Amino acid sequence: MILYTVDTLLSLVLLSVLFAFGSSRVPALIKVMAFQGIVVSIIPFFITPDMETGAVIFTIATLVIRGVLIPLSIHVAIRKVAIQRDVAPIVGYHASLFFGLGLIVAAAVISRYLNIPSISDSALLFPAAISLLVTGMFLLMARRNAIAMVIGYIMLENGIYLMGTTLSVRARHIVEFGILLDVLAGVMIMAIILQNIKQTFDDVDTSLLRTLKE
Amino acid sequence: MVEMVFITPFVTGLLAFVLPRAFGRQLLVLTGAVHLVLSLLLWKNSPQAWFAEYFAVTPEGLLSLLVISLLFFLIAIYTTGYLAAHRLKSENMFTGFMLLFLSTMTMVTLSDHIMVLWIAIEATTLASAPLIYTHRSGASLEATWKYVLICSVGIAMALVGSLFLTLSMELGGVTAAMSFSTLTPVAVQLDPAWLKAGFIFIVVGYGTKMGLAPMHTWLPDAHSEAPSPASALLSGVLLNCAYLGIFKTNKIMVAAGLSDFSGTILIVFGLLSIVAAATYILKQTEYKRMLAYSSIENMGIIALGTGIGGLGVYGAVICMIHHSLIKSSLFLSSGNILMGYKDRLIANTGQMAKQMPRTFVAFFAGFAGISGFPPFGIFIGELFIIMAAFKSGHYLAAIVFIFSLCVIFAGFARQVMKICFDAPADTGKTAALNFQEPPGLVWPQYILLLTSLILCFFIPDALYQTIVDAVHAIGGGLQ
Repeated sequence: MILYTVDTLLSLVLLSVLFAFGSSRVPALIKVMAFQGIVVSIIPFFITPDMETGAVIFTIATLVIRGVLIPLSIHVAIRKVAIQRDVAPIVGYHASLFFGLGLIVAAAVISRYLNIPSISDSALLFPAAISLLVTGMFLLMARRNAIAMVIGYIMLENGIYLMGTTLSVRARHIVEFGILLDVLAGVMIMAIILQNIKQTFDDVDTSLLRTLKE
Repeated sequence: MVEMVFITPFVTGLLAFVLPRAFGRQLLVLTGAVHLVLSLLLWKNSPQAWFAEYFAVTPEGLLSLLVISLLFFLIAIYTTGYLAAHRLKSENMFTGFMLLFLSTMTMVTLSDHIMVLWIAIEATTLASAPLIYTHRSGASLEATWKYVLICSVGIAMALVGSLFLTLSMELGGVTAAMSFSTLTPVAVQLDPAWLKAGFIFIVVGYGTKMGLAPMHTWLPDAHSEAPSPASALLSGVLLNCAYLGIFKTNKIMVAAGLSDFSGTILIVFGLLSIVAAATYILKQTEYKRMLAYSSIENMGIIALGTGIGGLGVYGAVICMIHHSLIKSSLFLSSGNILMGYKDRLIANTGQMAKQMPRTFVAFFAGFAGISGFPPFGIFIGELFIIMAAFKSGHYLAAIVFIFSLCVIFAGFARQVMKICFDAPADTGKTAALNFQEPPGLVWPQYILLLTSLILCFFIPDALYQTIVDAVHAIGGGLQ
């Protein structure tokens, strides 16, 4: 029963991945990212049979950071800079959507061939993780808007976290928490840079960042 | 005890943010001195860590730590002079982040747990990003943006690689702790397919941070936009820290009997970097960017040497130590050039031999050292790598390597001659030059170069033993 819940949640993540590919507005992307952050951080509640107190506290901390603090810091950053809200695609939306569909299919096929014992109970865990990871990469490469690129980085990190939850040999929570703090600090720094880019160049289009090249 | 070495600069770094500006510079030098003493104590006693699961003293970590410590102390002395000559708007931020940067890099050298190493390397990115943005210009903003984004994404790939290592433990039924020292003895039990995949991701990830081509694009920007003491730290020690991540993973690969696989990957990335540096160094118009490309070249050489194995690994470690010493001295000298000529372009400098004789000596000697002239250590390191390449039958690699070295030497020499001897294009520049070259801004470079020179003729037994221990773990040696 519980596993059905996990797969239902993860199928929503896969849908949100498609939404991220087709979305042209930054605020919509932030909502998608927040949703994914929340789902990814509550998955351990469903797949770990009996959790210890430490694990519960850590999972809640993850939820607060990935689901609330990180999206909020990006939200505040763009509120302050009040930017034009188009993601400035290099690859068009239709092509992006098509790529997204192909990605989900490929991820599902590939993870059937990978022989990973601990994830065989949930059909969608590994495909969802791969999809999130590649979606993040795609946004980083195929969007010129600096905010969309930061969002891409966060999706990438969410995908890696989901991949990590599937493994049974895991690092201790203190170590996981260190990774989480690093990601949070990284996003904060990126948000500060976003504000400075907006102030200096009066836009967040990264095609303006072209003075340093060979 | 072990942890004190990185906790100390962390605490003083936080202090530097709140203390008045006047204390910051003294604090920098003082922390540098304390750090050096602590590192030497660590080397002498090699004590147990409080958290032995996460931290340990390893030979390769010790080598990097000693280099970091010595370099930071000398760079701190230079920085006091630099800050006196060069008013920064936010000096507290600068000194504070320099110290935090030192703390995170020290943590890298002492980490033994795979994930803790990742945390520490990502933390070095975060602590050094504000240093690159010190000048608050559009160009420095662009450099910081590229640095943070490219390195964070790259290092995220290393996290994926680390997860794959965990997976290979799971499939191989290994229940040991996830640290390099516990995994190396049981490496044969790890699942080879996932171990290989993990290694590729880790090389791409930490290789981004190390500046291996084709992931090197952030490096010239960041090194040229950062203030010179920060560039010296970035180039001299940060790149080594990232290399340490690859080195330690390679140790597991060698122990698992996959050294051919990992060696080939390292050789390919190494050669790519050397060739990329040779291509770009020819058309550089800025001297700091030129030095940055030379760093890419040297990182390529180190990766190549590690990949070839045997004597090559020994050569790689020699190159690593001497590159740190010499390149940081060159970046510090480039800070003097920038203060003297107030221009980044090579075309607008000139006749440095006459205008700034003391800096000229340091810069020219550094150039000779980094290009591999015989009295300096890079020569010995490169020679070992070439010998190892021929011995192990990597003829093509050796030929590409030697050819690129010649090209880089020619490109580098032409620009250095321009800076040192030619008359500047803009004659106003020489007239406006009244840079006094205070001793605090030249002696650190002399000491760095002298250390490199001495280490070629005389290596203390204890240091030699540490190098041999580090090299031995990945199947290298003096045979």
